[in-house]
Amino acid sequence: MPMPHVPHLLSAITFLPLVGALVVLVLPASWARWTTAAFMVADLGLVGVLLAVFSRTSPGMQLIESAPWIPSLHVNYLLGVDGISVTMVALSALLSFVVVLGSWNTEDRPKTWFIMLLLLESGMNGVFVALDFVLFYVFWEWVLIPMYFIIAWWGKENRSYVALKFFLYMLLGSVLILLGIIAMYLHPAGHTFNMMVLATRQFPLGFQMVIFLVFYFGFAVRVPVWPFHTGHSDAHIQAPTAGSVTLAGVLLKTGTYGMLRVALPMLPQGAQHWAWFVGLMACAAILYGSVVSFWQPDLKKMLAYSSVGHMGFAMLGIASGTVWGLDGAMVLAFAHGLITGLLFLVVGMIYDRAHTRMAPDLTGVGKQAPVLGGMLSFAAISSLGLPGLAGFVGEFLVLVGSWQSNLPKVYTIVAGAGMLMGAAYMLWVIYRVVYGEPAEKVARIPDATAIDIATAGPLMALTAIIGMNWGVLLSFVNPTITRLAELLLLRSM
Amino acid sequence: MRVGMEFFIGLSAILFCLGLYGALSKRSAVMILMSLELMANAVNINLVAFSRFVTPKVMTGQFFAVFMMVVAAAEIGLGLALVLALYRQTQTIEVQFLNELKG
Amino acid sequence: MNYIIAIPLLPAAVFGLFFVLPRRIRNRMLYLPLAAMAGSFVLSIPAFLSAWPGGEDAVRTGTWHVAYRLGTIGTGPLDVILRLDPYAAMMLLVVTIVGLGVQIYSLSYMRGEERIGWYYAVLSLFTSAMLLLVLAGDYLLFYMAWEVMGLCSYLLIGFWFTDNAARNASIKAFLVTRVGDVGFAVGLAIIWVTVGSFDFHAVLPAATTWGPGVATAVALLLLFGAMGKSAQFPLHVWLPDAMAGPTPASALIHAATMVAAGVFLVARSLPIFEVSGVAMHAVLLIGGTTALLGATMGAVQYDIKKVLAYSTISQLGYMFLGLGTGNVAAGLFLLLTHAFFKSLLFLGAGSIIHSLHTQDMREMGGVASKMKVTTVTFTIGALALAGIPPLSGFFSKDLILDSLWAGHHYVAFAVALSTAMLTAFYMTRLWLRVFPGEPRDTKHAGGHESDWKILSPMVVLSVITLGIGFSAIVFAKFIAGEAAWPQLVMGSTSTLVALVGIVIAWVLFGGGRDTEERTARSSFVYLLVSNKYFLDYPYEHIALGYTRFSEGVNWFDRVVINGVVNGVGVACRQGGGLLKRMQTGRVQTYQRLVLAGVIAFIVIAVYLRGV
Repeated sequence: MPMPHVPHLLSAITFLPLVGALVVLVLPASWARWTTAAFMVADLGLVGVLLAVFSRTSPGMQLIESAPWIPSLHVNYLLGVDGISVTMVALSALLSFVVVLGSWNTEDRPKTWFIMLLLLESGMNGVFVALDFVLFYVFWEWVLIPMYFIIAWWGKENRSYVALKFFLYMLLGSVLILLGIIAMYLHPAGHTFNMMVLATRQFPLGFQMVIFLVFYFGFAVRVPVWPFHTGHSDAHIQAPTAGSVTLAGVLLKTGTYGMLRVALPMLPQGAQHWAWFVGLMACAAILYGSVVSFWQPDLKKMLAYSSVGHMGFAMLGIASGTVWGLDGAMVLAFAHGLITGLLFLVVGMIYDRAHTRMAPDLTGVGKQAPVLGGMLSFAAISSLGLPGLAGFVGEFLVLVGSWQSNLPKVYTIVAGAGMLMGAAYMLWVIYRVVYGEPAEKVARIPDATAIDIATAGPLMALTAIIGMNWGVLLSFVNPTITRLAELLLLRSM
Repeated sequence: MRVGMEFFIGLSAILFCLGLYGALSKRSAVMILMSLELMANAVNINLVAFSRFVTPKVMTGQFFAVFMMVVAAAEIGLGLALVLALYRQTQTIEVQFLNELKG
Repeated sequence: MNYIIAIPLLPAAVFGLFFVLPRRIRNRMLYLPLAAMAGSFVLSIPAFLSAWPGGEDAVRTGTWHVAYRLGTIGTGPLDVILRLDPYAAMMLLVVTIVGLGVQIYSLSYMRGEERIGWYYAVLSLFTSAMLLLVLAGDYLLFYMAWEVMGLCSYLLIGFWFTDNAARNASIKAFLVTRVGDVGFAVGLAIIWVTVGSFDFHAVLPAATTWGPGVATAVALLLLFGAMGKSAQFPLHVWLPDAMAGPTPASALIHAATMVAAGVFLVARSLPIFEVSGVAMHAVLLIGGTTALLGATMGAVQYDIKKVLAYSTISQLGYMFLGLGTGNVAAGLFLLLTHAFFKSLLFLGAGSIIHSLHTQDMREMGGVASKMKVTTVTFTIGALALAGIPPLSGFFSKDLILDSLWAGHHYVAFAVALSTAMLTAFYMTRLWLRVFPGEPRDTKHAGGHESDWKILSPMVVLSVITLGIGFSAIVFAKFIAGEAAWPQLVMGSTSTLVALVGIVIAWVLFGGGRDTEERTARSSFVYLLVSNKYFLDYPYEHIALGYTRFSEGVNWFDRVVINGVVNGVGVACRQGGGLLKRMQTGRVQTYQRLVLAGVIAFIVIAVYLRGV
C-alpha cells in the first residue's frame, strides 16, 4: 500500500518545539505552560501522523529529507526514520509531554523552565531523526545544554557541582564519538558523513576493531554502562523530577540508539569481535546495578541504579546480535522509558508531599495515599518484569536472544539472576515505601490529584498495552531489526 | 658605495629589536605603545625594501607600508584613548600594576 | 467453541474494571466479580463436556485451540495458544468451582474490609491467570500466566500490608518462587533455541529427538520452576509464611490451585522428563523429601493454618512422587482430589478462625458442640486427607502407592507410606485439639456457627470430596493415563498405616491429653522438626548477607568508582592550579612568553631544515 507522503514531517517534528520555545520566550510568563502544552500536543499529534504514515513493512529509511548544508565538506541536512528511530521519536515526544504535565505547577521561573523543556524535546527528536553525522552530532550535544540548565537551575542543594560533572562526563563520551565520526570521514572507505551510506561501507577489520571500541565507550557513557554511571546517578539525585524523567526516559536511549544506528551497522565486524566484551560489561551492569539498588535508601538514586541494571539488559541484547536480542533491546529501551519515567514521576509526587526521598522515612504510603502507593507499586511491578506489562517483553526477548547467540551461556544465567535481583530491589521498594504503617513524614500527605493521575495514566496504559500485545511495538521495530541482524550475520563472516 | 638591501634589513632589525626591548621592559604604557610603533615601522622599512629590491615593478610592498601606517595611526589613537581611560580608572599607567587578569 | 476464550477473560475484565474504579465504587460492586466467576464456571461445563470422553487422541491434539499473535520477531510470528484438552478441561472445573466457592465465602469472611474491592479484583485476576495457565497451549503463555499468579499471590499475602508478618511473608513468597521462575525462564530460552517453538505440541514430540543432555537441562530447569511454585524442598519456605494472607485466598491459591501449577507443569512436560532419566529421579527425590519433611513439620505446628500449609507442602510432594513414576494419572488425580479437600479444610479453618478469632490450636477446643456444619465438613476433609476409604484421598493415595510399587521405587514407596501415616497423625492431632471437649481459652470460646455464605461452599466441597474418589478410572481414561481400582493388599496396607497414625495421635492427644509438651519438648528430633529443620536460616542469612553486600557495594560505588571519577576532576583542577601561575596578568610577561615561543619555533624550524 503506498503511503501518503507528508513533506517535511520530520523537520516539523524536530523543530516545532524549538519554534515553541521562541514563542514562549516572547509571550508573558503566565502563558508559558499552556503554550508549551499546546506545542507539545501539536508535536505529539505530528508524531501520531508519523506513526500513521510510517510503513511497517519496509525495513529501510523513510520520509527522507535532504538538503545541502555545508557542501564543501559534503555535509547535508539529512533526516529520515526507520523502525529503530520512529519508536524513539514517539517515546521522546510522549515523555516530553508527560513531563510538562508533571511540572504543571512549577512556580520557579516557569517561563525559562518550559523553554528548556521545549529545547530539550527538539534536541532529542533531532538525535533520533538525523542521518548526517554532523547534524547528528549537533543534536547529540544540543540535548546536553537544556539538561545542564535544568539540573543547574532547578536542581537540589548540590546542583551546580552535579550539573557540571554530568555535562563534562557526557562531553567526554561525545568527544569519543566525534573522534569516531572524523575517523570514518577521513578513512578512504568512508569519506562521507551520510550515515545511510556509511552503513553500507566495508571498513577494514583492524579499523573496525579500534573504532568500534571508540564508539562503544562514547555511547557507554550515555547508556550508562558500568563503570561510567556515576555521572548519571548523581545527576538523578539532584535533578528535578522532570529532569530525571527525561534523562532516564529518553537521554539514556540515545546511547542504545547510537549502538544500533552507528556501532552495529557501520562496524559489524568490530561488533562481532567485541561482542563478548560488550556482553561482559552488560552483565556487570546488570549485576552491579541490581545489587546497588537493593540497599540504596535514596529512592531517586536507587532508580538511577536500577536503570543501570535495565540498560545492561538492553546492551546484552545488542551484544547478542540476534533478532531476539536486538528486538528485545529496542523493546526494553522503550519500555524502560515508560516505566522508569513513571517511577521517577511517582517518586517525585511523593517527594513533593513528604519532602524526603529516603525510603525508611516513607513507610506506609499505601495506607495513607492508596492511589499514589498503587501507582508506585504498578510501576515497580512492571519494572521487575511481570508478564503482561511492558518490562517483561524486553527482558524475555533478551534472555532468549542471548542464549541463541554465540555469547557465553553464563551471560544468560547472569541475565536470569538479574531478573531475580530486579524483583528483589523493586519489591523491597514496595516493602519499604508502600507497605507498613504510615511513618511520621507520610502521616498527613494527600493522595494523588487528578493531574497526577492524568500524568501517570497514559504511561501505565501504554505499559499494559505493550505488555499484552507485543506487536504494537514490535511491528515498528522488527523489520529494521531483522535486516540489521541479517546484515550483522552476513558482514561479520 | 651602493646601498644594498642588507642595509635596510639591518636597519629594520635594529629598529625592531629596540622596539621589542622597549615593549618588554618599559613600565609606562605610553612608552610601550611607542615601542610598538617602532616595531611596526621596522616592519614598514622591511616591506618597502623588499618591494624595491625584489619586485621593483610591482608596488605591493609600498602600498602595504602605507596601509600599515594608516592602521598604526588608528591603533595609536585607540591605544592612547585606552591608556587615558585606564588612567582615569586606576590613576596609573604603569603596566606592572595592571594585573587584573591574574589567574 | 470460541466461548472458551471468555472463561479466563471474564474475571480479567473484572480486574481491569476494578483497577481503574475508585475504591468506594468498587467496594459496592462485589456482585460483579461473583457474576464473572459464575459465568466462567458455567462456561467451563460445556467446555469440559466438549473434551469428553478425552483419551489418547484428545490429549495429543486437543479438542479446540485458538492462537493469539503477540508479535512478529524476525520473520516468524510469535503466537500464544489457548488449547482445550482433557488436562485443561479437568482443571477448568477445579479452578472455577473452588474459585467460585472462595468468592462466595469471602463475601462473609472479608465483610467490612476497607479494601474488599481490591481483594476481589486480585482474586479475579488470579483466577483469570490460573485459567489461562491451564488452557495454555504453549510454554510462553504458561509462563506468563504463572508469573501473574505469583503476583496475585504476593498481593494477597500482603493484603494486610500494614502488618509486619504479612509484608515479610509477601516479599518472601515472591522472591523464593521467583528463584524457581528464573530457572523456568532459562528453560524457556533453551526450548526456543532448540525447537524454535513454545507450543507443547511441537516441543514435547520433539523432545524424544533431543540428546539426554538438553533434555536433562530443560527438565531440571522446569522442575526448578515447579519447585518454587509448588513449594518443594528446598524452596518450600515461603508457603507456611504465606498463611499471613486472608484464609479464603490461602484456600484458593496456596492449597487448591496455584501451588498445584508446578505439578501441572511437570505433568504437562512429562515426555521431556522421560527422555532424561535423571530428571525423573530428581522428581522422585524432590517429591519424596518434601512429602516427608512437610508431614513431619506439620505434626508439630500449633497454628491451624500452618498445619494445613505444611500438609499442602507434603501433599504436593506426594504428587511429585506420583509423577516421578511416570504415571500422569497418579499425580494429577491427587492434584484434583487435593484441590477439593484441601480447600475444604482451609475454608473450614477459616470458619473456625472467623468464629474464634484465633489461629492457635492451643486456644481452641470444643468447636464440635457449637459449629456442627463446620465440624462435619472439616472432618470429611480431614479423613480424606488422612486417606481413609472411601473418601477421595484414599483413592488418589492408592494410585500413587501402586505406581511406586509397580515401578520398583521401594525407597520412595516407604517414604510415601510413612508420609501417609504422618498425615493421618497430624490431622488427628489437629482434630483432637480443635473439635472435642471444652474451649481451652474462654477469650476464644466463640460459639456461633458461620453464616450460609461461608458454609455453603464447604458443604459443596465436602460432597465432592466424598464422591470424587470413585471417578479415578474414568479420570485416568479421560486424561489418557493408567489407573486401577485399589487392590486388597495395597488398599488395606495404606488404610492400616493411616489407622496406626490416627491411633498414635489418639493415644497422645485423645481426651484432652497433651503429652506432646512433656515428652517431646526436650528431644533432639522435636527441636529439629519444630524449628523447621533450620531451613529458614540459610534464607535469612542469604537475605541479610545480600543486604550487607549491597551496602558494601554502595560504599564501593560512592568511594571507589565515584572517587576515581572525582579524582580525575580534582587532578584536572590541580593541574590548572599549577598552570594558572603562568597567568600573571602582566602584559609584559605574556610578551616574553610569546617571544620565547617564536624563538623556539624558529630554532625548531631551522633545525628541521638543517636535518
